Amino acid sequence: MVELRRDSVNVKIKELNSDIAHFRDLSITIGAITKETWVEPMGPTPYPSLTTLRSWDLKLLERYKPFYLPFCDLCCMCTYGKCDLTGNKLGACGISMAAQQSRTVLLAACIGASTHTAHARDLLTHLIERYGEDHPINVGELNVDIEAPLTRLVCGIKPVNLGDFEEVLDYCEKQLTQLLSVTHTGQEGNNLDFESKVFHAGMIDHVGMEVADIAQISALGFPKSDPEASLADLGLGTVDIKKPVILVIGHNVPPATEIIDYLKTRDLMSEAEVTGICCTALDMTRYSAKAKIIGPISWQLRYVRSGVPDVIVIDEQCIRADILQEAQHIHAPLIATSGKNCCGLPDRTHDVPDEIVADFVSGKITGALILDPVKVGEVAVRTALAIAPKREKHKLLPTHDELIKLAKKCTGCVLCRRACPNDLPISYAVKAAAQGNISGLDELYDDCVGCGRCESACPQKIPVHSIIVAAAEKKTRDESYRIRTGRGAIQDIEIRKVGGPLVLGEIPGIVAFVGCANFPKGSREVAEMCMEFAKRRYIVCTSGCSAISAGMYRNEEGKTAYEIYPGSFEAGGIVNVGSCVSNAHISGAAIKIASIFARRPLRGNYEEIADYVYNRVGAVGVAWGAMSQKAASIAAGFWRLGIPVVVGPHGTKYRRMLLGRSDKEQDWYVYDARTGEKVYGGPVPEHLFFAAETKEEAMVMVAKLTMRPNDTSKGRAIKLTNYIDLHKRLIGGMPHDVHLLVRKQADIPLTMKEDIEKILKEMEWTEHEIPDPTLLSRMIRKSKEA
Amino acid sequence: MFENIPVEVGLLHEGERIRKNDMHVEFGGPSISEKFEIVRVREGNDITDGSIHIIGPDISAMEEGKSYPIGILVEISGSKLEKDLEGVIERRIHEYTNYIEGFMHLNQRYDIWIRLSKKSFKKGLTSFTQIGNVMHELFKNELPFIEKIQITFITDAEKIHPLYTEALGIYEARDARARGLTDEDVDTFYGCALCQSFAPTHVCVITPQRYANCGAISWFDGRAAAGIDPKGPIYAIKKGECLDTEKGEYSGVNESAMKRSMGEVKRVHLYSAFGYPHTSCGCFEGIAFYIPEVEGFGIVLRGFRDVTVNGLGFSTMADSTAGGRQVEGFHGISIEYMRSRKFMSADGGYDRVVWMPLETKEKIKPYIPESVYEKIATEKDVRTIPELKEYLISHQHPVTQLWEVDKSLDKTTASQMPVFSAGDIPITAGGVRIILKNARITAEKVIIQPVKPHQPRGGDHGDTKRS
Repeated sequence: MVELRRDSVNVKIKELNSDIAHFRDLSITIGAITKETWVEPMGPTPYPSLTTLRSWDLKLLERYKPFYLPFCDLCCMCTYGKCDLTGNKLGACGISMAAQQSRTVLLAACIGASTHTAHARDLLTHLIERYGEDHPINVGELNVDIEAPLTRLVCGIKPVNLGDFEEVLDYCEKQLTQLLSVTHTGQEGNNLDFESKVFHAGMIDHVGMEVADIAQISALGFPKSDPEASLADLGLGTVDIKKPVILVIGHNVPPATEIIDYLKTRDLMSEAEVTGICCTALDMTRYSAKAKIIGPISWQLRYVRSGVPDVIVIDEQCIRADILQEAQHIHAPLIATSGKNCCGLPDRTHDVPDEIVADFVSGKITGALILDPVKVGEVAVRTALAIAPKREKHKLLPTHDELIKLAKKCTGCVLCRRACPNDLPISYAVKAAAQGNISGLDELYDDCVGCGRCESACPQKIPVHSIIVAAAEKKTRDESYRIRTGRGAIQDIEIRKVGGPLVLGEIPGIVAFVGCANFPKGSREVAEMCMEFAKRRYIVCTSGCSAISAGMYRNEEGKTAYEIYPGSFEAGGIVNVGSCVSNAHISGAAIKIASIFARRPLRGNYEEIADYVYNRVGAVGVAWGAMSQKAASIAAGFWRLGIPVVVGPHGTKYRRMLLGRSDKEQDWYVYDARTGEKVYGGPVPEHLFFAAETKEEAMVMVAKLTMRPNDTSKGRAIKLTNYIDLHKRLIGGMPHDVHLLVRKQADIPLTMKEDIEKILKEMEWTEHEIPDPTLLSRMIRKSKEA
Repeated sequence: MFENIPVEVGLLHEGERIRKNDMHVEFGGPSISEKFEIVRVREGNDITDGSIHIIGPDISAMEEGKSYPIGILVEISGSKLEKDLEGVIERRIHEYTNYIEGFMHLNQRYDIWIRLSKKSFKKGLTSFTQIGNVMHELFKNELPFIEKIQITFITDAEKIHPLYTEALGIYEARDARARGLTDEDVDTFYGCALCQSFAPTHVCVITPQRYANCGAISWFDGRAAAGIDPKGPIYAIKKGECLDTEKGEYSGVNESAMKRSMGEVKRVHLYSAFGYPHTSCGCFEGIAFYIPEVEGFGIVLRGFRDVTVNGLGFSTMADSTAGGRQVEGFHGISIEYMRSRKFMSADGGYDRVVWMPLETKEKIKPYIPESVYEKIATEKDVRTIPELKEYLISHQHPVTQLWEVDKSLDKTTASQMPVFSAGDIPITAGGVRIILKNARITAEKVIIQPVKPHQPRGGDHGDTKRS
């Protein structure tokens, strides 16, 4: 009997007689059959378990001790509770505040990582069904040799075909079950162990993201590491509202690509508008640059209420839970396409498209669940074409007069402002509007994150969000920008090219703007930060909603960031890697640096590579509007690699920061791999996770966090120049810690010599050597001089 | 530091671009035929430190939006200064003046192109004296071996002409000296450890005839850098005794490499890709790769986006080359090294090169001996090794002579020991008979492991109770 399964082959033979031997009850089990073409020997930690990398995590956590910011100081997760954990009180199960906070972080990280991994699984299953498990992986043609750095590093395998990713996801899913179980009552009680598991969840998250994006790049023909990926339209103003308009929201692109395919094969592409919000939008422009992006997730309410979309198609993640009601208000049929988000709708997956379309057009149903992307493509297009002419644009937005009338209902209770996550002065603006002046409301539009909490809070039932959007109608019509479509991975060649400029001090660092749109002051700040760092010749990467926001601002010449700066991974480039799952290419690029320059083996060799990245690669992540649990796990994946992350003020709600103490000299010793001695490496990077209150504070911190102990003097000089210059401009005066960041005379930027030398003298500074830094004693090199 | 300058001066202005609409005036550039900048080493008595002269109209007297001729003469003196360093110091003009906000400096020598922005002009940057002051300050601060510096700006076209002609002569003489300078002419080479921050075992040796792999540092650059900061990442290597003229092995280089690589690299053959080749970091500009089938080298540069004749692309081969190791047959190189007469000279130089992309071939045409130029195949001529072979034979490439010598290639492939072998293995299982004919089971490795017995069931309710 032969049993062939995906992950194993079992051969059982009851009796085997041959001339040379007799076997009875012979059973042969082969774990997996793989064609081994990769000559790199397996590293020490393939498929790490919950504890495999614990000692590395604890090294980082020793330096960056968690600083807890209880967003909620109760625990209400079991029936013992609620337990008050303030003032060193323990919960009924014995848990401390620190442990409970990190437990909640782990929970969030598990949710985030599961979301990406589950997305990857659905995508992979779909793509394998459609294109076969033998479909080859291709992320960058000949320019990319290291196709899946995270998979190689974590799992120790070199994927060749789509099918090879199955076991990678098997591993992720197993780890996530283990991780989630840790949050059960009466499991882990030590906060640092919780934190280590948060890192583990983060690492798994990046692997899951990598699988998802490589699968869709390879199978769907997305740009393959292309610095010149085409530009796509962005903004409400780019939509031709006279045409039937389809809106897609979410993260899983197959329904959207099927919509595009349906239009294309029938030559209808110019007859309808395919528009999107959030990552599905980003990914469908990678499929066809004719698709249009409306904006980041915060544009959901405002776009739906504009009445423009004729059909709304949702897939998974970051979709408003009230999307069905909102769609019903504007009489736009809603199609749910994911088992993860059914919206209470009837399952019409197995019905013929004619019937579903007819039911939508007649108004018999307002929404349907269709779990077959191909069918979604047909139904969405046909419905939109049929319904658009009938469905005048059901605008929900009030006219000017209606707006003023609504504003007059305001009693000035200020509950709207209290409900607003950004404490926007809504009531003042409404008051002014009641007197005919809508400029205040118009101004709110830019800062509003579109959550709609003001409306829920209003006892007068004023549609506050709608009147803000209505007041800014002219602005929304002008929202017309260009975004470079997500290019995917960074080429190995590009990394080689920036090697020279990095060591010669021509590139100060790599800054990645990632994550959601819960910005304290709107999209504009992300665009401004991107442009400032690109202007300063950093390498800037963008992804997800931040990539969209980065494009929603024009300079004096009317150009967006993507039109001004090149899309290549070089000094002054702004590199849109793509959607949320494309974040894996940013961590992947950092990993590739270790392989490409030092030829450190990646295969199952996480700790050594993280040590390399942490001590040498001047990369920083910025999640200025981080909102979701996915953002938490993405950040955690960067931390484990030693890449610091800066978040906006809402980021404090992630419950703890990972802060270093530059004043404690003893915290900053590293091994010099050349001598084996423990030497002072300086407080760099100073923090691993830091919430900035303002854009200005964030920018100064980013410049500081690109510093690494291995910086050449020229490299450190350019980093110091930017840090000091930004500090002087944005905060004022010289930073207080210059003397801690100068190691040698040659580190001092020459145009700031006088000022800095004065400080160094005052602080009784002395020179110290630049080590070949490592935190791992096993990396100390043995001299072979003889 | 720059209190008297009305605009900012700092590294972050370096990459600033000033578009035509934003410029107040322009100096040099494509519309001006004669322009130059030059550094000359003088005797100390001949110049006055800190003096700045302007010959012709100053910026304030110029008409907005116009292009003007320009000459910049920087005269320096110092006991440690050498004429050989003039070129290196000259390039700092570009670097330093670009630090000035709203002052864009492009190119070098007779090709300079400068723009001053309207904004900076409005802020009060209206005189070359200010530019000169910044240059004076930076040159003296950064290059302490400059004891005196005197700067002259010439904007009068007539006065520029004779100086321009003179400058051209000096550039030419300088280039001739650089081209003519051989490794034998000097007693000191330079080492660069900058890349060690990313590739800790890489040691770059820079000689007059072997540029750094990155293509960014010449022997002259090395000399200047080591002179400015002897303890810095670019250091002098006394070349010591020449152990092998042909391969380029020097006792001093060996000792230095041994020390810097902690014994990882014990010997270095500067002009060979075999034996003890120079290590390759990660940012080399190109790769010379050995093609055993034809006993010659292919060359591929970073920008080549196709597969090479051996079926591999740059990236794949770079992976075999990089990481600060001595890899025989995969050699990281700079474009400038390809222009050197010592280019892989021990291996036969260009007589051993059989393939390179057309673009590269054209780029370095003047440096490839005429006798072999047409014999080197490109991607337009051949796509595969058999095609390459034919091409080389039909073009009588010098490597074909090597083939005559050694034709007896041993074709033994590494054979695996059969673990289990039998003519027929009939298997009878469940009523079915399977015969494996000439079956042979081979394995790379056979591991015999004792089978772990199952642990007896634990707990009080386990086997013991039952028995």
